[in-house]
Amino acid sequence: MTSELVIKNLHASIEGKPILRGVDLTVRQGEVHALMGPNGSGKSTLANVIMGNPKYEVTEGEIWFKGENILEYSPDRRARMRLFLAFQYPMSIPGVSVANFLRRSLEAVREGNRPLQEGENPSGRMTKRKSIPPAEFRKLLQEKMRLLKVDNSFINRSINDGFSGGEKKRAEILQMALLEPEIALMDETDSGLDIDALKIVSESVNALRGPDLGILLITHYQRILDYIKPDFVHVMYDGRIVLSGGPELAPELEKKGYEWLRENDEVVANG
Amino acid sequence: MANVLASGLSRGAVEGISRQQGEPEWMLQKRLQAWETFESLPAPLGRRGDLGTLRTLANFKFQQIAPYAASEGLTPTIEQALQSALASERAGLIVQRNSSVVHAELSEELKSQGVILTSLENALREHPELVQEYFMTKCVPVETDKYTAMNAAFWSGGIFLYIPKGVEIEQPILGQVWIDTPGSAIFGHTLIVADEMSSVRYVEEYNSDLAGDAPALFNGVVEVYTRSGAHVEFSSMQDFGLNVWNVTHRNVVEENDGSATWVMADLGSKVMLSEIGSGLSGNGSAAELVGVFFTDHDQRYAINSLANHIGLSTNAETLVKGALSGESRVEFSGMIRIQPKAQYTASFLSDHTLLLSEKCRAESIPGLEIGANEVSASHGATTGKIDEEQLFYLMVRGIPQDEAERIIVQGFFEPVLQRIPLENLRVRLRRSIVRRMRGAYETEADTWVDAQERWEIEGVDEGAVHLDERPAEDEIQLTEY
Repeated sequence: MTSELVIKNLHASIEGKPILRGVDLTVRQGEVHALMGPNGSGKSTLANVIMGNPKYEVTEGEIWFKGENILEYSPDRRARMRLFLAFQYPMSIPGVSVANFLRRSLEAVREGNRPLQEGENPSGRMTKRKSIPPAEFRKLLQEKMRLLKVDNSFINRSINDGFSGGEKKRAEILQMALLEPEIALMDETDSGLDIDALKIVSESVNALRGPDLGILLITHYQRILDYIKPDFVHVMYDGRIVLSGGPELAPELEKKGYEWLRENDEVVANG
Repeated sequence: MANVLASGLSRGAVEGISRQQGEPEWMLQKRLQAWETFESLPAPLGRRGDLGTLRTLANFKFQQIAPYAASEGLTPTIEQALQSALASERAGLIVQRNSSVVHAELSEELKSQGVILTSLENALREHPELVQEYFMTKCVPVETDKYTAMNAAFWSGGIFLYIPKGVEIEQPILGQVWIDTPGSAIFGHTLIVADEMSSVRYVEEYNSDLAGDAPALFNGVVEVYTRSGAHVEFSSMQDFGLNVWNVTHRNVVEENDGSATWVMADLGSKVMLSEIGSGLSGNGSAAELVGVFFTDHDQRYAINSLANHIGLSTNAETLVKGALSGESRVEFSGMIRIQPKAQYTASFLSDHTLLLSEKCRAESIPGLEIGANEVSASHGATTGKIDEEQLFYLMVRGIPQDEAERIIVQGFFEPVLQRIPLENLRVRLRRSIVRRMRGAYETEADTWVDAQERWEIEGVDEGAVHLDERPAEDEIQLTEY
């Protein structure tokens, strides 16, 4: 069965300040959706709320994934359902090597979740621990690194510590390749990349594309869409998706800029 | 004389210990003088408004414990501990159990080079001139404070290590101190003299195996001398039980171009005062202090470090990292003192503390006293909690919260663990740290540690990545943990 991420009338705020004001969106496995919009429109907030970042408070609405309302689930439980977020600003964690962390992460995601008991806190436990033999893990990692043309040296370093902007973004894609999510949210994966790095990252994403992966590609610029062709384009403005369409929407938006959305938004609001 | 002296500190007990050890008259006189000093000095009480560790220590019921408890032989617990402690690589071993040194061994090769490893009690008879010159004279003088005077009056057993001119010992020498008599006070004393151009790596481990809740006291003094061009690496791993009260003074006196590395790992003790000094007297001398602590329950630590720059062109670096949980409290005071004649000095200190619970408290006071003008010195201290964003990042990768927290704590310690030169020590310390982090996944914490070690051991460089075609048995071994 095709996995679906369904967002219904989602409202969320941070420190009492509303950011999302009623988002409706459905992303299925195999589809690539681009989510565009000006800075501050709520794109990153949406990605964080979908993953359950405790900084944000959901005030209304629902998030369904694979037929479960995941709103009360902890971030790790959501991840173990094979929901993935490539961060806009990946955190660096000094002292923890990429290899170790990825192995633990893969073990967790592969194990999945134990079904919730009646009345149990949905922060949820994993089924049980089962480790991946180092040799097997290494082989898998090597395969993915070759696919993404990532340098071997990088897995022995601390997570994102001292990585350049481009390296951080590639590390995120490597994690995505390894964890094989069903739906991946990619938050401004193109920001801070020069044109060469952008090409490499885009190629990597295209290499992972397929019927088993649904992508929500969040971007400020149309640039990355020259390399990653979306099936659908949505435009977010002031905490809502104000416009949805096919791939042809992106260049149109590029031409007109986001300013005309304001008028459009007013039309929507008044209408 | 009985194997255990009656409770209480007294002049009679001082004389009894001296008689028991068959000491020369000068040592008895030194002890009695120290007893007078002990009686006349007030206990250090700390500053107004600090976390109160020193005041708590001063209230210890010193009169209810026995200042001497003789022991013989190794217990099964000690023998077991010795199996994992540098077992395959140590060049010498000395064990003090309660008030007695019960075991000492040294490789024949080192013996023939003139290296001495024996109890201080023994050294007093066999090498009186060395002991008289170095014992509580310049390094940790008797009158440093009330507790050092107490140590001078009541020390017993003791560890003495002498490395002759030009002898460089690559393999580490291990000293272990064990307390297993409840209600006793153990006064340990380690004296290391590294003669010109010699070098040694010495590891001292402190453990207890005490039944019941009766408190015990450990009062230790460590004195290290590095003569011209000598290097001493002194690593200590303290994991006393939570009924041990612990006061330890350590100092090194360095001659020209001498260097010393202190590695201090503190995990145990109910209350601990640790004074650790680097006396950079000689021109061009250098010192490094790498400190790690992890406290829990109601443990209380006061750690005071001093980099004392006296000679010309000296270098010191102090790096301390610690984590607190439960209701524990830690006060760290790191002082850099640059004397007027210590020109061309460089001294750096950093101290980072991680608070893992709501009720723990930490206080960090870095200090700088600069009397010379051609110097480069700096200090920095941070205290914080686990970063929420880091935690979210790991959780978004499927790792449950408690485990994610452990990973972050381990990452916090890893850079300082990497600076511990002896791998065996590093690995055991990493294990102890992870075990200290409680949670639902005790066993899986071990998995993480093992994984970290394995990557470290195997390496994940280009060459290692291609080692996939391992023999099958090897692979099975790797997966069994």
